[in-house]
Amino acid sequence: MRVRLLVGLLLCAALASVGALAAEPQYGGRLVIAIGVEPESLDPIGMSSAPAATVSEHISQPLIYLDVDGTLQPSLAVDWEASEDGRVWTLHLREGVTFHDGTPFNAEAVKMNLDRFLDPASGAPFRFLIARVTEVEVAGEYTVKLYTDEPFAPMLAHLSHSFIAMVSPEQLRALEPGDAITHPIGTGPFKLERWNRGEQVILTANEDYWGDRPYLDEVVFKFVPEDSARVVMLETGEADAIMRVPPLDVPRLDAHADVEVVHATSVRVIYIGFNNLREPFTDVRVRQALNYAIDKQEIVDVILGGAGEPSTAPIVPAVFGYYEAGPYEYNPEKAQELLAEAGYPDGFSATLYHPTGRYMMDATIAETVQSYLMDIGIDAELITMEWAAYLAHLQEPPETADYDMYMLGWGTVTLDADYGLYALLHSSQWPPAGWAVGFYKNAAVDAALDLARVTPPLDVRQALYETAVKGIWHDAPWLYLHDEVQINGVREGVHGLIHHPLENISAWEAWIDR
Amino acid sequence: MRRLLARVRSWEFVRQLRRNRMAVFGLAIVLIFLLAALFAPYLSPHDPLQRSLRQALDGPSWESPFGRDELGRDILSRVLHGARISLTIGLVSVGIGALAGVPVGAVSGYFGGAVDLLVQRLVDIMLAFPGILLAIIVVSTLGVGLTNAMIAVGIGTIPTYVRLVRGSVLSIKEYDYISAARAVGAGDLRIIFRHVLPNSMGPIVVQSTLQFAVAILWAAGLGFLGLGAQRPTPEWGAMLANSRMYIRVGAHATIFPGVAILLSVLGFNLFGDGLRDALDPRLRGRM
Repeated sequence: MRVRLLVGLLLCAALASVGALAAEPQYGGRLVIAIGVEPESLDPIGMSSAPAATVSEHISQPLIYLDVDGTLQPSLAVDWEASEDGRVWTLHLREGVTFHDGTPFNAEAVKMNLDRFLDPASGAPFRFLIARVTEVEVAGEYTVKLYTDEPFAPMLAHLSHSFIAMVSPEQLRALEPGDAITHPIGTGPFKLERWNRGEQVILTANEDYWGDRPYLDEVVFKFVPEDSARVVMLETGEADAIMRVPPLDVPRLDAHADVEVVHATSVRVIYIGFNNLREPFTDVRVRQALNYAIDKQEIVDVILGGAGEPSTAPIVPAVFGYYEAGPYEYNPEKAQELLAEAGYPDGFSATLYHPTGRYMMDATIAETVQSYLMDIGIDAELITMEWAAYLAHLQEPPETADYDMYMLGWGTVTLDADYGLYALLHSSQWPPAGWAVGFYKNAAVDAALDLARVTPPLDVRQALYETAVKGIWHDAPWLYLHDEVQINGVREGVHGLIHHPLENISAWEAWIDR
Repeated sequence: MRRLLARVRSWEFVRQLRRNRMAVFGLAIVLIFLLAALFAPYLSPHDPLQRSLRQALDGPSWESPFGRDELGRDILSRVLHGARISLTIGLVSVGIGALAGVPVGAVSGYFGGAVDLLVQRLVDIMLAFPGILLAIIVVSTLGVGLTNAMIAVGIGTIPTYVRLVRGSVLSIKEYDYISAARAVGAGDLRIIFRHVLPNSMGPIVVQSTLQFAVAILWAAGLGFLGLGAQRPTPEWGAMLANSRMYIRVGAHATIFPGVAILLSVLGFNLFGDGLRDALDPRLRGRM
């Protein structure tokens, strides 16, 4: 008996060591990732959301890579420096890189891509990222110089943005004016094989990748807006990884032998913007009243199962320039007083647009907000829209924008407040120019944000952002909800997936042991 | 009309209906839902819209016998108020279908010829679309919402009425009493409304009862797709749609509205079938 036990133990040990051997990365295989919504575009000048970035960064890369720790890493640019006065940036490019179509990557390619991104006629919704650049100069085969009108402090962080992605100059040349790229040809670790609209994107490994060839042969991103459907796909093995596990399903998945739940940080705030140009949201008291009317903590605790924090600023604490201004306490009496002061003692009706499957529990949260607003007499009509249509709807100029309230989230993916505040709350960024969808305008905030852009010393910038955040918080152009946390699910046997705080899931280091 | 009333009052009809157990069962369900709809505010233990997040997805208890939904609202109260909405939808859309379909069908069948040809081809076009699809098309044109859903479902039921009434008018107009009425100088309209339609009332009543079930089902379908009643309205289909993502953690939130749809549709169908059997003299004695 004893001998048998010993043999058994030895066998177990042997098996365990086999298991350990199997932990060496393996090449080959196909990885299926279910994400919530479909990218609205994969064209650098057409993208505006994290789902697009998630897919795109596998195919076409930005010059600089922001890694999971928030450090800027060399990518297509290997080195960079700023001139004394901070107005000229010199980028040294990686040599020997080719696009998927064989076109060499060089300074000329960078210039073509940046010029296209900068061209006001191209209408890139994220043009503001590098809008300060006045000229892109080819200073050598592998050297590019960027001239700016003012010293532009967040330049490097902005160049790391997934939307400033490099696509093949051949492809750009072949493009008819006004046409969008539907099949980007980049330098990334994967090539776009096929994009079945409404269903999936299929990527195949780039054998000639300038870095290490990815372990996987194929990566498939499936678009599954229904939260519960994604969970089922993970449980049955139809998907190897899913994004945004509903918090209520976490305990069950934790108990599931073949599934691992991954909690990752995020830099995203979720909010409901007010159309500051439409009655009654033109009145700051009304906007503040709505902020007091919602119990953010209860939403986080119950609907998000604790996965998040009530927002304390329009940006998350991890971002440079953060200042703790809130939260607005839950105080329905005060909300009603403010409404009465503003001349709406009996409330009013308004529309509330929201996406579904895009943010954690977005539709449920919208309905909860509707319910809280009912308490203070506000009748909010919920309008659900499909993601791409929703984004298009929010790009209307002020005259035709027909929404009163809109639910959005914003990840400050450069980890610099400029990206979070300037893009959403500076009055120069009203659509169709940018993403200040609520048409908020405060001259003092504008001035602080402008100055912080062009002032390199960090302590001065911090002070300027503090001013801006205080002003924005007081003016309440949004109904501040919460800072999001990511919950993803991964099957056993899948290794090396990157769950990026930018809410990207990246597969170039991933491998499967089966 | 008098003939119909006489028949309804006659012992024979009620006896026929009572002998059909399933019909009585169906009628009982229909009556229960009617009462629930009429007295929903008095029967509901809670406000159907009152949120209570801390109780989200709590299972059935004495305090809330059907449990709580994803926002902690009382499901029993919501199902009871949902009965109001569903029965209203049934009434309004069947009303639209009957009011539009019956006269058109009668005229089409009575006059025949070119009128009949035109009307019937239009009906063919409408019948070419499955009813629910027709309703979806109408809703997408008019815009989503409860009222438009009722109109859409109503429009979707029109062709059935037209066909049904035309069929019975075609046979009735050949009877001698119609010729007699014409012989004493009655006009076409008088003949249609005084003599033809009252005699085709039986099938119309039966059809309306059955159509009620269809209307409830379609409206729930539209609500489920987000095209009908909008949140937070406690409409059964919409409730089902909103709670289905929690089916693994709080199945009761999906089950109760689902059962409500099932039972009400079943009730109207059984009752409608019983009515048909009782009203159709040809089936008499065969039950």
